[in-house]
Amino acid sequence: MLEIAIGIILGCCALGAGVAMIAGIGPGIGEGNAVAKACEAIGRQPECKGSVTTTMLMGCAVAETTGLYALIIAILLIFVAPNLLVNLLMSVIG
Amino acid sequence: MRKIDKVIWKETGYIALWVLILSLLMEAVFLLIKKWDYTVLTGNLLSAFVGILNFFLMGVFLTKALEKDEKTAKQATKLSQVFRMFLIFVVTVVGVLLDCFNTWAVVIPLIFPRIGIALRPLFNKKKKGATEGVATEIDSEKAPETFEEREDKRDDVFDDKQPDIASIEMTEEKSEVDTED
Repeated sequence: MLEIAIGIILGCCALGAGVAMIAGIGPGIGEGNAVAKACEAIGRQPECKGSVTTTMLMGCAVAETTGLYALIIAILLIFVAPNLLVNLLMSVIG
Repeated sequence: MRKIDKVIWKETGYIALWVLILSLLMEAVFLLIKKWDYTVLTGNLLSAFVGILNFFLMGVFLTKALEKDEKTAKQATKLSQVFRMFLIFVVTVVGVLLDCFNTWAVVIPLIFPRIGIALRPLFNKKKKGATEGVATEIDSEKAPETFEEREDKRDDVFDDKQPDIASIEMTEEKSEVDTED
């Protein structure tokens, strides 16, 4: 019974990590679009390259944070949460 | 080796400054809650370095992508994002698994660049106000023309430069006659 409970905990943690990483798709698409638009803007007004690059960098950094959050949650779910939850289960059972 | 854009150094410096400030703040919090040991420092150093490196690499890859066409730029950006994510994943896993790094000290500094960017508008307000002051001093007589005026001017120039269609037809007919002869 205990083995099944531990198995369920591990399975749920892995599933949660996988679901969290779905958020990693968004930043890639978002950054791609931002850079494509920046290319277009620089092509239209080459004298604005500096300001366009700065704004684009900041925008991309902001967009990427979403993916980082997801990555951190996934790593915590895989490496930290199972130990904590199993210990909690053990202490409850006694 | 290709020269790296000035903008990237400037922005990376800005991000590094914020990461440094927030790292010191985090260390202070760890000291206050009496959980500080050398693992917090090593974890913080590792994570802060990776956060700054990630931003720098992003800048380098994106400026490279800007020189390509739209479609290639999109693909290159996606590829660079995957590469950097993988780098962060590896470093974070190493930080979490090894005992010489504190898990929370590894994870928390990864979001410091985002905090730095979020706080940026607060410190740019003064600059913006100064620019607005300059804008009010512009002489209205020397101010740029309206869109309609510019359009009219462009049409006039275009009409002047338009070749006479009748003369073109005449020359074409003449050349045809010459070739027939």
